[in-house]
Amino acid sequence: MEQRVNRSVGAGVTDLDPDAELMLRVRDGDGASFGVLLDKHRLPVVHFLYRMIQNHGVAEELAQEVFLRVYRSRATYEPTAKFTTWLFRIATHLALNSLRDGKHERMQERLDENTGDMPVRQLADVRPTVEQSMVRQARLEEVRRAVAALPEKQRAAVLMHKYREMEYTQIAKVLDCSESAVKSLLFRAYETLRARLAHMA
Amino acid sequence: MICPLEAKRNEVLLEYSSRKLDAGELRLLEDHLETCPACRDFVQAQRAVWDALDVWEPAPVSADFDSRLYRRIERQPVSWFDRMMRPFQPFGLRHAIPIAVSAAVILTAGLLVQRAPAPRPQPQHDTAQMEVLQPEQVVLALDEMEALSQLSSPVRPNKADSKM
Repeated sequence: MEQRVNRSVGAGVTDLDPDAELMLRVRDGDGASFGVLLDKHRLPVVHFLYRMIQNHGVAEELAQEVFLRVYRSRATYEPTAKFTTWLFRIATHLALNSLRDGKHERMQERLDENTGDMPVRQLADVRPTVEQSMVRQARLEEVRRAVAALPEKQRAAVLMHKYREMEYTQIAKVLDCSESAVKSLLFRAYETLRARLAHMA
Repeated sequence: MICPLEAKRNEVLLEYSSRKLDAGELRLLEDHLETCPACRDFVQAQRAVWDALDVWEPAPVSADFDSRLYRRIERQPVSWFDRMMRPFQPFGLRHAIPIAVSAAVILTAGLLVQRAPAPRPQPQHDTAQMEVLQPEQVVLALDEMEALSQLSSPVRPNKADSKM
């Protein structure tokens, strides 16, 4: 019954969502449209996974798996929701599985190391002093630790809300929970972050 | 405006802190913030978190990300469905399915016509008639036998006639 309702909504979604239109073309055998989708979503997916896992190699590996699953599912694709909802649902599912499989231990080890894979964005014409650079690196480290300390679902909700600017309804669909559950997740997550990071103001 | 913290509507403060609140609620909240120190503290701390998270910029994606992905895609086993649909790919899958179904229908119809059995010889009407008339014939035969037996029996002289 829900599937039927979603199918009828599908046409409306594709009217609004150009990514779903591209995915329908991929379904029809247009490989170039897959390239367009990859170009558009590669960076957001890798960055989301990186912030979830905090290991660049694992994040890229998982991102590859995300796009591989998208490609594999092309024949059965139905635009029942926004394309990004589906994409981040796959990404979140893989990230949570990866964390539960114990890769988070590696992530913690990596956090303890001096991380060279996360450059702080710098402008070429404004070179920070050594002191500024060290302060910035320390702040970044603090942010990473605070985010890593969040429970997995809270972390995913914060990353989608903050960095992807997703609405509560979309985050709810990605995390397969209610909108009020998302609000609760975000409230608790930001409460923890405020306690840890508010002094950085 | 009712205090969002008291009304458990923290999302209003979160949206305001991330500068995403719509104009209508924005003015109401700003009026409220002038009189509510708790909400002011919340917003100040939340904005600090928001700005701190902005510092976190991940590394760029590896240059060979796409080529690695396409290599993995090429290594994917091709399903029977994809193999079957490959000749129709220039038409797109939406058109390929009706074309494939039409082709299958025509092929099946052709096979059925080719294998259609030769017309059977019509059954003889006589045989059928015999089968239908058989009980009547039996009755007739019995009647005839009865008539014959009456004819063949010796004629006995009547007692009255003998007296004469």
